[in-house]
Amino acid sequence: MADVTYDGATRIYPGTEIAAVDSLDLDIADGEFLVLVGPSGSGKSTALRMLAGLEFIDGGSVSIGGRDVTLTPPQDRDIAMVFQNYALYPNMTVAANMGFALKQRGIEKEERARRVREAAKVLDLEEYLDRKPKNLSGGQRQRVAMGRAIVREPQVFLMDEPLSNLDAKLRVQTRTELAELQARLGVTTVYVTHDQVEAMTMGHRVAVLRDGKLQQVARPRDLYSTPANRFVAGFIGSPAMNLIDVDPGNGPLQLGTAPITGAPASGTAVGTVGVRPEHLRLGSTGINGRVTVIEELGSQAFVHVAIEHEGRDEVLVVRDEGETDIQRNDNVQVGILGPCHLFGTDGERIDQ
Amino acid sequence: MTAATADRAKLLAKRNRLEAWKRRLPLLPALLFTIVVTQVPFVLSLWYSFTEWRINPPSPRTFIGVDNYTGLVSNSFFRDAAFTTIFMTVASVLLSLLLGTGLALLLDRDFFGRGLARTLLITPFLIMPVVAGLVWKTQMFNSSFGVLNWILETLGFDSIEFVSRWPAGSIIVVLVWQWMPFMMLIVLAGLQGQDPSVLEAARVDGASSFSIFGQITLPQLRPYLELGTLLGTIYLIQVFDHVEVITGGGPGSTNIPYFVFQRSIGGGWRFGEASAFSIVVVVASIVIANLGLRVLSNLLEGEAP
Ligand SMILES: Nc1ncnc2c1ncn2[C@@H]1O[C@H](COP(=O)(O)OP(=O)(O)OP(=O)(O)O)[C@@H](O)[C@H]1O
Ligand SMILES: [Mg+2]
Repeated sequence: MADVTYDGATRIYPGTEIAAVDSLDLDIADGEFLVLVGPSGSGKSTALRMLAGLEFIDGGSVSIGGRDVTLTPPQDRDIAMVFQNYALYPNMTVAANMGFALKQRGIEKEERARRVREAAKVLDLEEYLDRKPKNLSGGQRQRVAMGRAIVREPQVFLMDEPLSNLDAKLRVQTRTELAELQARLGVTTVYVTHDQVEAMTMGHRVAVLRDGKLQQVARPRDLYSTPANRFVAGFIGSPAMNLIDVDPGNGPLQLGTAPITGAPASGTAVGTVGVRPEHLRLGSTGINGRVTVIEELGSQAFVHVAIEHEGRDEVLVVRDEGETDIQRNDNVQVGILGPCHLFGTDGERIDQ
Repeated sequence: MTAATADRAKLLAKRNRLEAWKRRLPLLPALLFTIVVTQVPFVLSLWYSFTEWRINPPSPRTFIGVDNYTGLVSNSFFRDAAFTTIFMTVASVLLSLLLGTGLALLLDRDFFGRGLARTLLITPFLIMPVVAGLVWKTQMFNSSFGVLNWILETLGFDSIEFVSRWPAGSIIVVLVWQWMPFMMLIVLAGLQGQDPSVLEAARVDGASSFSIFGQITLPQLRPYLELGTLLGTIYLIQVFDHVEVITGGGPGSTNIPYFVFQRSIGGGWRFGEASAFSIVVVVASIVIANLGLRVLSNLLEGEAP
């Protein structure tokens, strides 16, 4: 068990100009479940592989448990990794797959078998121990990959989108099992995903990456309530926050015809106003608009309302609870209930 | 109405037959040709092997049953040739497989000039067997102007007449030189078909390069090694050109194909007996190839955890 530190870690792939991971600074506490999230190509896998030792580090350093491992080969880092495609050893049985790392360390056969059986019990794999990976279902393979990691009792778990090959229902179930397992084992975990729901539900803290640059690290709640910039605001939350550009020189801040309370603390010009769908309400007062789409989810509905803002057409997504009898093309009023987020012309958050 | 459906079914069946023939017809000449050039000679050989048939002095072909085969057992020349065949085949297949695998492992890593190195390494396989034999005999092995002896003499040793000292060994060297690239290509295909993340997983799991090769790469290469062994054996068991060019069947280097040649058009003119030998080679090829595969499979069988 150990803490993990990225200190200005940079990776530039040979033959490319821009860094896939650009001076990443990140402190991960002992026993923490940290999720790396970001859109495709943002450098999540690269950051993880740098920690695993599978990717050369072009600048900065990485340390595990206070030990600088920047130049340490993967076999000496005492980490366990779950790969996106599981990367099971195709020629070995499930038991041999799970015992492989122990065998490399020269642990005796009985001890090995005991630990493999223990892990298999935790993961419900006991009846499959003699099978080859190709005779397992996707979910079972995923569990074998997990098992291979947990028998190691490593310092750090690294997981690269381990649930992405599972169907939606299994993914939700495995998500909670995995979080539970991690809490029980208390092993520091770095988990990569592009799914923000996974990130929010599993992570103790979530780090958002974009184009190799760290945007924000925070607890899921804080990430949601105080996004550090426009990108994080739009990336976290489903459906996404309404982000409407405003003209900085245009007198009092307005969204359509509704005034926005809370002036920026500093004198910086506001470039974008953000408001989450649940902080808007359809009512009898507010911004005039027309319903264009209704996404009915049963317990709630998301209503898309076209409004006029600074002479342009914009769409606001509004969460509407309970039964509505709103129809497409109805004329409605949108009221602002909760806090608005303000972002400067550079996209950074402006505190109110 | 039933009459109409019956008519329709008949029409459909007719069209299907027509379709089938449309596909078969263009293949037919090739099929006939293949049968004529491979199966007919085999059947004829089989028939000849049961006859006594000499051309010099000319005598009528007479059926003698399995006498040619029973004669084989007591023929010490045939036994020597059989032993040479087995020795030469096994040695050259194993050595070329071993060296080919080594080269493939080197070529599997990225380095500057890899494409060029690969092309150069493949060339021996592209050379005609007769040419390869001649080049080695005159340029490499020769005692007065061969490269090997030049090296030996430069280092202060006496020159060696390689071909007469080790006739079978010399042939094996040339065979290995020619077949190593073939094995290399097959093994390289196997190496490049590996999932790189499996190897990464093994490294993260703490395995050294050596144990990764032994426990993960080699078992995955098994079908490729088997294929190499099978094809190599089938070809090398019937090597003729190299023997003819390098030693001309000198002591200990006459394999069965060369022996068949000696007994028939090479001066023996005993076609019945030679046919029996060649039938034995075919059967032996099948047996040896199977045995080779069996042995290799057992060697590579993964062990329990
Ligand atoms: N071997 C490589 N050579 C060159 N560029 C690479 C290589 N691997 C990744 N990249 C680039 O580095 C950037 C980050 O890639 P990375 O695989 O870390 O993204 P990711 O966040 O994991 O994306 P995804 O969610 O699609 O897996 C991408 O722009 C990618 O094109
Ligand atoms: Mg990735």
